[in-house]
Amino acid sequence: MTSRLTLLLLCLILVQTRAFALEPSEKLLFEKNSLYQYIQVTEDTVKKERYIRNQKREFTQGGIYINAPDKLLFEFTQMGFVALAFMDRDPKDVLFVGLGAGAMPKYFAGRYPDSVIDIAEIDPDMLAAAQKYFYFKEDHRMKVHVQDGRLFVKRTKKKYDWIILDAYQNDYIPFHLTTLEFLKEVKSRLNDNGVVVANITSPFRNKFFDSMVMTYKKAFPHLIIFKGKKSGNFIFVATSDGKIKDKGAVEARAGKIQTARKFDIDLADIASRYEPSDAYEWEGAKVLTDDFAPVNLYQHQKSGAK
Amino acid sequence: MLIKIIVFICGAVVMSFEILGSRVLAPNFGSSVFVWGSLISVFLTGLSAGYYLGGRIADINPSSRKLGLMIAAPGVLFLTFPLYSAPVSDWIFVQDLGVRFSPLIASLVLFLLPSVFLGIVSPYTAKLMICSLHTSGKTIGTLYALSTFGSIIGTLVTSFYLITIAGVNALIMGQGVLLIIASAPLFFINLSCKT
Repeated sequence: MTSRLTLLLLCLILVQTRAFALEPSEKLLFEKNSLYQYIQVTEDTVKKERYIRNQKREFTQGGIYINAPDKLLFEFTQMGFVALAFMDRDPKDVLFVGLGAGAMPKYFAGRYPDSVIDIAEIDPDMLAAAQKYFYFKEDHRMKVHVQDGRLFVKRTKKKYDWIILDAYQNDYIPFHLTTLEFLKEVKSRLNDNGVVVANITSPFRNKFFDSMVMTYKKAFPHLIIFKGKKSGNFIFVATSDGKIKDKGAVEARAGKIQTARKFDIDLADIASRYEPSDAYEWEGAKVLTDDFAPVNLYQHQKSGAK
Repeated sequence: MLIKIIVFICGAVVMSFEILGSRVLAPNFGSSVFVWGSLISVFLTGLSAGYYLGGRIADINPSSRKLGLMIAAPGVLFLTFPLYSAPVSDWIFVQDLGVRFSPLIASLVLFLLPSVFLGIVSPYTAKLMICSLHTSGKTIGTLYALSTFGSIIGTLVTSFYLITIAGVNALIMGQGVLLIIASAPLFFINLSCKT
């Protein structure tokens, strides 16, 4: 009856193959079936960009401009920084859940030299790829913990000013990083006035998005949503009792940070897309819990909201 | 026919429980390769122990009533699963035995016993069903096929469908009810190779 084992292993292995062909302008730099996913690093020789992806070409985990590796290539990485405008001081202790190409932590560390950054990344091969192909370096104030994000949050004794939730495998978030219980654990690791920011992909308005809105809303009193212009990404900013909450205040603060920290992205423009979560709340959506979280299915179902 | 349905159900429940097991472990132990490794190895340990034990027990006055008990027992464990699963997981999490041993110990405590019982079912039913040595190969082959076919259906139905309509705890309790219902007729009829 080893058939049972074979069955399970097959399920795990079948997922790990390349499902698309490269463009003529693209060059394959690296590919590997890691413990968790198929990882592929490619370079677009015309656009002069480098990407890290899993199976699906339309969902990129991260990337850089080859000639300007310190710039932020993707909209969702740029938009995440709008969360800084919700804080009345500079964040010192910061936690990233999910490394990607390491572009966000690298960009942040460069602008906030006094910050201390922890990064939880489950896949050692993602870290290796970020180091080898995306100029990501660990140092005394930026450390990667090769561990499941949920476990890191549960185990750490530290509290953070800013927590960034961006752990993806292809186009979905592992279910245990979407639940109300997880968000409460994240909340318990926040300093007073700390801010959580999450990147939620929803190319069309799907049930998963609806559930995420309701789940974040249940865990945090304040939820602000920023919609991507070029991508199907939504940035959720959640706070317990952030001092800066109103649109005007956030925009003003974004402008100030932009100048003071020499951001080369348009933070003020991102801040102007501020939308209170009310616009997206739909009472019919289910709050995701450790007991019930059909993440994959919900991502393929259209929203029930009108 | 009855016994064939029961074997199918037990096969389905084993794999369904294994799929749900990954969801039970994730909140406290994550979804790392260590969690999957623990989960799979504990189920296989339970099944192999169950096959061995089941074969031994089957040689001592086998009866359909005893088989009923072997199936009702994991049923009761499943039905009460939500009562002990969270406290046990939380306690093991707090002990912090490391990223490998935490999920392994949790899997042993939560999943070993039910999978031993479900493993017993295969050799035990084979013993009950075998009428003559001439057809024993066919009987055993049919039971194995049904059990594994049940496992396939259990895996697919759980991961494709059940997990999207109900909570993990409710599903495990539902499996408990299913096992208890399946075992009930075994207490009233006397199975032999003629039925």
